[in-house]
Amino acid sequence: MANIIEIDGLSRHYQMGPTTVKAIDEMSFSIAEGEFVSIIGPSGSGKSTLMNIIGCLDLPTQGKYSLAGTNVSDMNRNELAHVRNRYIGFVFQSFNLLGRETALENVELPLIYAGVSPKKRREQARRMLERVQLTDRGDHIPNQLSGGQRQRVAIARALATEPRIILADEPTGALDSKTGIDIMKLFHRLNEEGVTLVMVTHDTDLAKQAKRVIQIMDGRILQDIAAKEFTS
Amino acid sequence: MKVVAFRESLVMSLRSIASNKIRSFLTALGVMIGVAAVIALVALGNGAQISVEENLESLGSNLLIVYSGEPRGGSLVRRNTTNIKPTLTEEDLEMIRSLGPNYVQAATSESTATAQVKYSNVNTVATVVGTGVDYPQIRNFHPVYGRFFSQVELDTRKPVAVIGIQVYRDLFPEGLDPVGLQMRINGINHRIVGIMEEKGSATSDESVFIPSSTYQRYISGENEYSVINVQAESTEAMRDLQRIIENEILRLHRLPNMDTADFYIANQLDLLDSMQGVTETFTILLASIAAISLLVGGIGIMNIMLVSVTERTREIGVRMALGATAADILRQFITEAVIISLLGGLVGIGIGIGSSWAASNLGGMAARVSLDSVFMAFGFAFVIGLFFGGYPAYRASRLDPIEALRYE
Repeated sequence: MANIIEIDGLSRHYQMGPTTVKAIDEMSFSIAEGEFVSIIGPSGSGKSTLMNIIGCLDLPTQGKYSLAGTNVSDMNRNELAHVRNRYIGFVFQSFNLLGRETALENVELPLIYAGVSPKKRREQARRMLERVQLTDRGDHIPNQLSGGQRQRVAIARALATEPRIILADEPTGALDSKTGIDIMKLFHRLNEEGVTLVMVTHDTDLAKQAKRVIQIMDGRILQDIAAKEFTS
Repeated sequence: MKVVAFRESLVMSLRSIASNKIRSFLTALGVMIGVAAVIALVALGNGAQISVEENLESLGSNLLIVYSGEPRGGSLVRRNTTNIKPTLTEEDLEMIRSLGPNYVQAATSESTATAQVKYSNVNTVATVVGTGVDYPQIRNFHPVYGRFFSQVELDTRKPVAVIGIQVYRDLFPEGLDPVGLQMRINGINHRIVGIMEEKGSATSDESVFIPSSTYQRYISGENEYSVINVQAESTEAMRDLQRIIENEILRLHRLPNMDTADFYIANQLDLLDSMQGVTETFTILLASIAAISLLVGGIGIMNIMLVSVTERTREIGVRMALGATAADILRQFITEAVIISLLGGLVGIGIGIGSSWAASNLGGMAARVSLDSVFMAFGFAFVIGLFFGGYPAYRASRLDPIEALRYE
């Protein structure tokens, strides 16, 4: 299958006074459409930075990042916003739902910025809630939902614009283990439906549930292997 | 697309405003008070201006007033002449009348003194005015009941009197028909022939009008007049006429120039100009006070919007992650500030109009709401929302999505 993500000689350096911190140091890998990849590493390994770059929230200082065949390495803020809207669905550890809006409205949010009409938005949002099996909770605000339900709403929101990849940052980190398992089941199902998933975590057990594991350390790739063969 | 984007931010703003009602109200309150102040204070200023103009018009039209006494620069307001030695003569009056119909419509003398007036056993103090038969026409001040005294009564020094409405009320509390009755002025009997209309000013309503000949005989004992009222033929003729009268009286009084004069002339136009100047200054002063309160309201908006942006940093980060551009965020927060400001403005307009109405209908003050000030205030509210909401919105739009998402 075609590569959705191509990363080539990518570096992200921060200047901290006189010292240069190499959060990512000449990293290269690619992810094909339909893959389920976890990126694992301890805190400070550069995985957050990598996730920000993959998510088009940040830009590399060196190297090239192509998303769905488009080089995003030198886009401006506006172009990046459009790319995030069309190509990427974010799932955060702490859900990041807007507390005053209902589940449906939260799911509609990316569609507003995509310029979709209110009526179509509503239909699409309902479909997405259906996809995460939360049809009857559309009118609830996040406070009225359990953690697992909130994360489902967040996943529905990530799916709303039918992006090319879903980028999940510790998606089960704020959930109990049973609910975490449910969310992972949902991810597997979505993956089977053809959604490309990239999950960032520090949890080895969770990482192994993906199909492929990229382990990073000090801004470099330590190993990039099939999940079955992964040992830390 | 643009319209859609605007409608989206409108909906978002209304939602955000509705979800935090007390804060939105407090934010709008500053603008509300500012706008209400602009409208009410400008209405008061306008009211003052209009009532001054009406007062001046009620003096009579195209009026020149020749006063006894030394010229006093700039003092144009009709002044109390009771304690000033009269210097104007019958000769002066004849001279003015002889200037002819191209200049003068009418002229009449006026002398005043405070006197005790009495009917039966009721006493009051009134200003006794000795004048001529043209007085009602020149001063635009007419009898409401009975008649003014006649030329014959003037010529034959008849002790007749026309009384001001307040004098009538004081002397005849039972509401008797006074015409034909005898009243005493300084102990001398005068027959009442009429009652003057109500003018609303104490000097007019608390006066008793008698023929100047009778006044000279019984009240002052002097032949000079305190004042000569001149009605000019037209507004255009007034300035010329003033100069001619000045020169002629100087000649008759054998005086070299106005610096040594024993009289001076006030001109209704100058009076109008200077009063308008005063009320305009007054209006500007009130408007500036109101503008300052609007400014304070604007600062209030900025303050709250800055707090709101900080509070919603994470929300902004989420929106950015989901694809909101800097322009989307900017539009959202500016729209919110403008709507709060406009809502405040609308309520303020209501309060302003309401309090102007109350001031004029309940408080007895002259207040007139001008449509200009309503539009101006609304425009101000819009601009203030835009300007003071602009900076917080700009700050929001410049947030780094990574930092914003990390914000606790």
